[in-house]
Amino acid sequence: MSVLARSVGNAFRNKIRTTAVVAVLAVAIGLALAMLVANQAVTAKVTELNASVGTTLTVNPAGGQGFEGGGEPLTAQEATTAAAVPNVTEVVGTKALRLRNATEAASQGAGGGGGFGGQATTTMTTSLTPAVDAGTLGNRNQETGTTGTQPARTFSLPITATGIGAEVDSTGKALDITDGSGLGDYTAASKSALLGTTLAEKNSLKVGSTFTINDQTFTVAGLFDAGTAFGNNAVYLTLPEAQTLAALPGELSTMIVTVNSMENVDAAKTALQTALGTDKADVTQGQRNLETAVSSLDSVKNISFMAFVAALGTAGLIILLIMVMLVRERRKEIGVLKAIGAPNRTIGLQFVLEALVLVTLGSAVGAAVASFASGSIATALIGSSTTTTAAPGNRGAAGGFPGGGPLGGATQLLTSVTASASPGVIAAGIAAVFGVAIIGALVPALLTARIRPIEVLRGE
Amino acid sequence: MIEVKNLVRTFQSGDRTIKPVNNVSFELAEGTLASIVGKSGSGKSTLLSLLGALDKPTSGDVVVNGVSLAGMPDGKLTEYRRRDIGFVFQQFNLIPNLTALDNVMLPMEFAGVRRSVRTKRAKELLEQVQLDVDRHDRRINRLSGGEQQRVAIARALANEPKLILADEPTGNLDEQTGGHIIELLSSLRREHNTTILVVTHDRSLANKTDRRFRLQQGRLTEETAPKQVQGMAPASPKAVAATAPVG
Ligand SMILES: Nc1ncnc2c1ncn2[C@@H]1O[C@H](COP(=O)(O)OP(=O)(O)O)[C@@H](O)[C@H]1O
Ligand SMILES: [Mg+2]
Repeated sequence: MSVLARSVGNAFRNKIRTTAVVAVLAVAIGLALAMLVANQAVTAKVTELNASVGTTLTVNPAGGQGFEGGGEPLTAQEATTAAAVPNVTEVVGTKALRLRNATEAASQGAGGGGGFGGQATTTMTTSLTPAVDAGTLGNRNQETGTTGTQPARTFSLPITATGIGAEVDSTGKALDITDGSGLGDYTAASKSALLGTTLAEKNSLKVGSTFTINDQTFTVAGLFDAGTAFGNNAVYLTLPEAQTLAALPGELSTMIVTVNSMENVDAAKTALQTALGTDKADVTQGQRNLETAVSSLDSVKNISFMAFVAALGTAGLIILLIMVMLVRERRKEIGVLKAIGAPNRTIGLQFVLEALVLVTLGSAVGAAVASFASGSIATALIGSSTTTTAAPGNRGAAGGFPGGGPLGGATQLLTSVTASASPGVIAAGIAAVFGVAIIGALVPALLTARIRPIEVLRGE
Repeated sequence: MIEVKNLVRTFQSGDRTIKPVNNVSFELAEGTLASIVGKSGSGKSTLLSLLGALDKPTSGDVVVNGVSLAGMPDGKLTEYRRRDIGFVFQQFNLIPNLTALDNVMLPMEFAGVRRSVRTKRAKELLEQVQLDVDRHDRRINRLSGGEQQRVAIARALANEPKLILADEPTGNLDEQTGGHIIELLSSLRREHNTTILVVTHDRSLANKTDRRFRLQQGRLTEETAPKQVQGMAPASPKAVAATAPVG
């Protein structure tokens, strides 16, 4: 019989207790690991989101955003000024138009769109039918623009047509063209358009089909996928075409400014704000929605990390107390071992090995629990944060600028999180518990071994 | 071999001070079989644990082969217990969830004896104390008191100690088995020159020892001619006066 065999035997001396200890340890360790996995997943997602906010800045007219607010519109001159700011590599202007289904607009009369802040956009008619049903939210938002005297009617949502100066969406992200081709030269007026996949499907349009905006015929050059239903209920035109349609040449709804590197974003943002003037333009980094998403994810990250530490601490505390209890219970045995000449290190080793057997079992069961639980925990954590960030998004979706583009992207990123733990992280967590177990076994065992054998043998 | 000098051990019990070992001095030469008798609670076990380095005296010293236990560090005391002492506890103090064989092998494991050697020697020892072979692999908590006592004796002999300290080693044994244990101890003394000190109530055991001590209220006295009193055998010439001061 060796020390190891003795330790393993001792670990199973009281089978009911061993089972209970392993079960409790497994829950704590499993929870700790699940939290670690969740933390990792959220950390990765935050990094990803930060990277996606990346090096782009969005410039809106001062006091306005999307279709809302007041102030003076941005112009091509501001785009030139922005391009001259140090570290700015590219300025892409966009011009947003609101399209309403022509048939419906005629039946509802001119008052239909009157409620929308009109400074940055012009409402036009189109042959397209929106791919998104207004639903409860849409109708509720639409009512703000009409009087309550009319009986409840079902509205269709407007479609946003955005003129873009490059092949990017309204957030500066490259468009994902799934069919057909881009618009070619985005700085020239052309009667080509890019349609979101669901919008094209709803209207039975394919590449090469035609539709109208304000009775002018446009050809579908390509289809894009923004990743969300709302983002896909959109049309992209070249910037000059949109400006021509709106009869507002040189006017921009927003500018998407790309900075040369991540480190220069803050400096460039300040410089840009100064160059354009605070009374003229608002410079924001990425999208507010995205920032909200990132900040709420950050809090999830912190919470999951605290939960990890707490669960790990609990596991540590459990094994610590168990070992202290075990050593106390077997004080007499330590006295016997000591009395027949066992060196302290042998006694310490025996209890450490016993603790390791318990923790190993607990970790193994806990890891199994974690591997089942962590996926759903991570999804639940990130899912709940999505709900909070989605709220402003719904409003934006019903009433204004295609905030659904960036937000939809974020939502998709968040929900697509699948937690996967790196072996290093799991190893670190388990190593910490093992460390506590070793200390929990060693310290009381050695303290007991140091007492005169006769005192321990006599018992209390 | 072992020299005890003015050994005192006091216990604090409430506001009373108990002195189960009160200024005890004696010497045992190598190869002596000695016994200590005395009433229950007279301090026999306390004295034995001081000799076995299981306890530390309040004052006085134990010198073994010229080395004082008083000045020894903890690690050396452990080594002394492992190498030089075979201790048979009154309460056996075996490890309950290990088998008889494993218990006997333990001290040899600590002494670094090879596994195959340990097993062989442990089996021999258990046979010497007349433990049935079918009990060898039985766990201690499934053995009777007498069987446990014999395992405890076998364990004390495991590392071939120079000094055996046995606290009532025949207390749980029937006359015949007890007699056999006495034989075993005597043969160890004859063949290996082992020094043996037994605490006993057993008159027949005490009568077979070279020297007999009596512990009374913490004081040790040597009986000079008990064998004449018993009328069993002529007084041993070895039975010289105890060095323990009386009073
Ligand atoms: N740790 C202790 N604390 C207080 N009193 C003790 C302690 N150990 C032993 N005693 C007392 O010392 C006396 C001698 O005990 P012991 O040596 O066990 O006697 P015995 O001769 O029966 O073996 C007893 O009265 C006992 O109560
Ligand atoms: Mg006693």
